[in-house]
Amino acid sequence: MSWLLPSALGLAAAAIVATIALHFIARSRPVAEPLPTARFVPRRPVQARMRSVALSDLPLLLLRAAALAAIGTAVAGPMFTSHGRVARVFVVDRSRAVANMEEVRDSVRRLAARTDALVEFDSLAMRAQSIAALDSTRTSSARGSLSAAIAAGIRTAVLASANADSVQLVLVSPLAREEMDDATTRLRATWPGRIRIVSVRAASPDTVTPRVDVGTNGQDAVVAGLSLMGAASPGGSVRLIRDRASASDSAWARERGHVLLHWPATDSGAHWPRRETIDAIGGVTAGGATLVSRFPRPWLLTGRAVAYWSDGEPAAAEHSVGDGCIRDVAVLVDDASDLTLRAPFQRFARPLLAPCGGTRDVAAVAPGTRAFLAGAGPLTAALTLRDRTAESSSWAPWLFALAALLLIGELALRRAEGRAA
Amino acid sequence: MRATSYGALLDAVRGVHWQARHAVANAAPGSHRSTQRGSSAEFTEYRLYRQGDDPRRLDWRLLARSDRAYIRLATDRAILPTTIVLDASRSMAFPVATRDKWRLAQEIAIGLAAVVHGDGDPVGIAVHEAGRVRLLPPRTRRGVVAEIAQVIGDAEPEGDAPLAPVVAALRSPRIAILTDLLGDADALLAAARVHGVAHGEVHLVHVVAREEIDPPRRPILAADPEAPAVQRMLAEPTRAGYERAFADWRAEMARAWRASGATYLEVVTGQPAAHVVRRIVELSGAVGLR
Repeated sequence: MSWLLPSALGLAAAAIVATIALHFIARSRPVAEPLPTARFVPRRPVQARMRSVALSDLPLLLLRAAALAAIGTAVAGPMFTSHGRVARVFVVDRSRAVANMEEVRDSVRRLAARTDALVEFDSLAMRAQSIAALDSTRTSSARGSLSAAIAAGIRTAVLASANADSVQLVLVSPLAREEMDDATTRLRATWPGRIRIVSVRAASPDTVTPRVDVGTNGQDAVVAGLSLMGAASPGGSVRLIRDRASASDSAWARERGHVLLHWPATDSGAHWPRRETIDAIGGVTAGGATLVSRFPRPWLLTGRAVAYWSDGEPAAAEHSVGDGCIRDVAVLVDDASDLTLRAPFQRFARPLLAPCGGTRDVAAVAPGTRAFLAGAGPLTAALTLRDRTAESSSWAPWLFALAALLLIGELALRRAEGRAA
Repeated sequence: MRATSYGALLDAVRGVHWQARHAVANAAPGSHRSTQRGSSAEFTEYRLYRQGDDPRRLDWRLLARSDRAYIRLATDRAILPTTIVLDASRSMAFPVATRDKWRLAQEIAIGLAAVVHGDGDPVGIAVHEAGRVRLLPPRTRRGVVAEIAQVIGDAEPEGDAPLAPVVAALRSPRIAILTDLLGDADALLAAARVHGVAHGEVHLVHVVAREEIDPPRRPILAADPEAPAVQRMLAEPTRAGYERAFADWRAEMARAWRASGATYLEVVTGQPAAHVVRRIVELSGAVGLR
């Protein structure tokens, strides 16, 4: 049993002690004494305070103390949970960093019970209906986010804590470096207990430059630059379009591992939101490479930034579409310039051709980071997770009703004693 | 309590005379001035003989010297039968532990009876108990004081029967009422006024307990022993009001009784009974012939 507001018990105890003390200083009618001239005493209600070493009005005291105890207990809010039950939340990685989803499933099945909760994550984390949902889970091409995973795991753990004494987070992931971000350690620090980490094999790292289907326009400056990189190849996993994307392009981008590189040649080549005032800027950078030229900026991009203008605004952004993605590049290159033919362009273009989510960095996190993520100490107590302000005790109304009955009884007893006196 | 218990008191009041306040209209010879003119040795005046007068009362020497017939007149002396009325209501048994009011009233009654008996007057007692009146008619015989002590000793202060009917039924020319006036005070005053006019004199001895004037300082729930429904809290907030009301009531009683022609004396428990008896006797000094 636990209490929503244990301090109320202390207050109730203090009130009971005060009541007992007040009963030692009885405020009651003294015992009647004969006085033949009593008729000359003015008719005024007078309460006389009499000290005594013995408790007075014991039945009244018992009723009052019981009523105070009932009120205190009701306000304290007793909560009854199944004793010793451990709720487990499995946070399962389905991002591109996972080599084999079947291995993940086996790991979970070996540890999980039917009542355990499941959270699947890649770049997003979502709670599954049941642990059985894992059977239909496939790996995605999105980069995993341990921050999202831990945040969703904590949320699910809070829900699961309502019917348990303690909660355990089980993280099934290869713990690739690309899944970490600045928020990961901070989010981890908010989880008060240890996390059981079940490692699975990570996917192979990207070793070859993606092939780009550049179409048939050989006069295009960007196509020329990519061809010069040796990346242009029909039937590649990256499709470059220099005009507006067609429905077939979008459908192609939804397939697994496909990247639609939408890099309009002119400002009419895209439907993206336009700036109120078109300006120009002198540089753009991606993957550590910078192109210096005068670039017009007609659009405002949103999404996961892949390239940045020199003032920090995104110059290229990626959107996930189905199992693939569309990468919008708002860098208008003058066909007459030789910008794309120079070495900086090749370094600049390489991140734009990377698989969805960027270049995979599936190397395992450092042992220290892994140890920090796992943490130490006992399982997390369910009490520390519950939102006590939102909880209510089912016993409270009954206890309040009991207190009301006791107070009514106290009133009746007082009146009966008053009549008897 | 028997008469032997009052030895000191009887010694203290020996020789005290309780003079009648007015001339007594009674034929029996006694020690008080009578409204009758008779033939006693105490000469008062001469009056011309009228037909029908007793010839034996003629002053023959004066007739021989002056040849005029005169009757020799003298003031008669008469007895004054006295009844002592003793209030034996429950309020007289206060304080409960010592019954000081009742004891003082008993002693005063014995003391007055002894004084009256010493004057040669008949003396009786009427003790008004719960449900009945112990009445001993006025007598002059020897041992009447002891009989009165017997009656008083047998009485118990109980009940709350009114005193007025007892006083109204008495025919004694002098009555002395020993009461705390906490019963039927108004009716008693009316009866006493009637008695004073019709028969003679009334003496009221108002017995008050010291504890009634100065009740305990601790808070008490004061209950009237004769009216259980009257229960009042006597504590600091009400004490001053009580003292003021009680004093005002006593003053009003004194004024009303004195205005009725009776003598009024308030006695407080703790005072010596012999001293109280002397004060009663002093208060009833003669006021002249009627």
